[in-house]
Amino acid sequence: MICTGIKKGTAELAILSVLQDGPLHGYELSRRIEAQTKGSLSFSLAALYPMLYRMEQRRWIRGAWEISSNGRRRRCYRLTPQGKKKLQPLRAEWLELFSALRRLTKVSNA
Amino acid sequence: MHDWRQLVSARLSDLMLDDDDAVQVFDELADHLEETYQSLLGEGFSEQAATRRALGGVGDWQALRRKIESSRKRESIMPKRVAQFWLPAFVTLLLSMACLALIQIFGPNRWIAPVTHGWRSVAPTVLVYIPWLSTLPFIGALGAYISNRAGGRTRAVFSATIFPILPYMVFFIIGLPIAIILDDHVARNVTVPMFFIGLCAWVIFPAAALLAGGWAVQHFRSRHSTAGRIATN
Repeated sequence: MICTGIKKGTAELAILSVLQDGPLHGYELSRRIEAQTKGSLSFSLAALYPMLYRMEQRRWIRGAWEISSNGRRRRCYRLTPQGKKKLQPLRAEWLELFSALRRLTKVSNA
Repeated sequence: MHDWRQLVSARLSDLMLDDDDAVQVFDELADHLEETYQSLLGEGFSEQAATRRALGGVGDWQALRRKIESSRKRESIMPKRVAQFWLPAFVTLLLSMACLALIQIFGPNRWIAPVTHGWRSVAPTVLVYIPWLSTLPFIGALGAYISNRAGGRTRAVFSATIFPILPYMVFFIIGLPIAIILDDHVARNVTVPMFFIGLCAWVIFPAAALLAGGWAVQHFRSRHSTAGRIATN
């Protein structure tokens, strides 16, 4: 399991990455992240929605009410052009961090 | 069957957001709780256990309230109001004024409503700009589009759409009666039929024209969003 501090840092990247595949409502978004990370990352309701609202304020994502095929009204989030732009540097930052950690671990193990 | 909407609004009753925002948050969280609950029932949990686990995702409601407020309130109230109401309202107002001015200068002759008093015509009469009325559905549609695109709810969309008639409505409801009381010259020239023709030409018909355009856009956009791709379970 990944600790809370790291989870917080990766949450934005996780949400943006999942929304890159298409619009999702909050519940489905949390399910997708949990499934795709095999349970390593999971969002409770209390963690997910403040994060989504903050990202919406930054205009990385946009939420809109839509009616689903089964007639339910849901707020779906989709990536904005700013969100797409943000995703690339975020990915690069995390890749850099992971490769730095890998290098560090090799040095430590040597 | 739980009323999650009622539960959420009761637990977050002191959420310090403007009404529209708070309603959206309540609906969204209630929807999430319902989906979690149904999913847990599907996994074989009892109703009691499913309820407990669904609510476990919230933890401390007051902490959630504070988080939501800090994530939404700081930047949201004014810009949202501006985007959903004030901006489209002033766009429709300016466009309708500009169209009226252009039609008055370059357009075809206005229609003058013949108001009679007994056997003779009475002056001044009511001016009706039919070409201007015909532009209003498009202006109303634009206002509705801007408001709807910014996430405006129905009330905000239609309020912004009919905003241009506000000055005329104020004139007919407040300005003209005051003028009649204060100025004998005005009082002599205003007749009841003229007043109602004027009210129709400058308030009721323009409002109907603006709302027709606004309604068409609202209807189209709601259908469009329904047809959009939605991820479901």
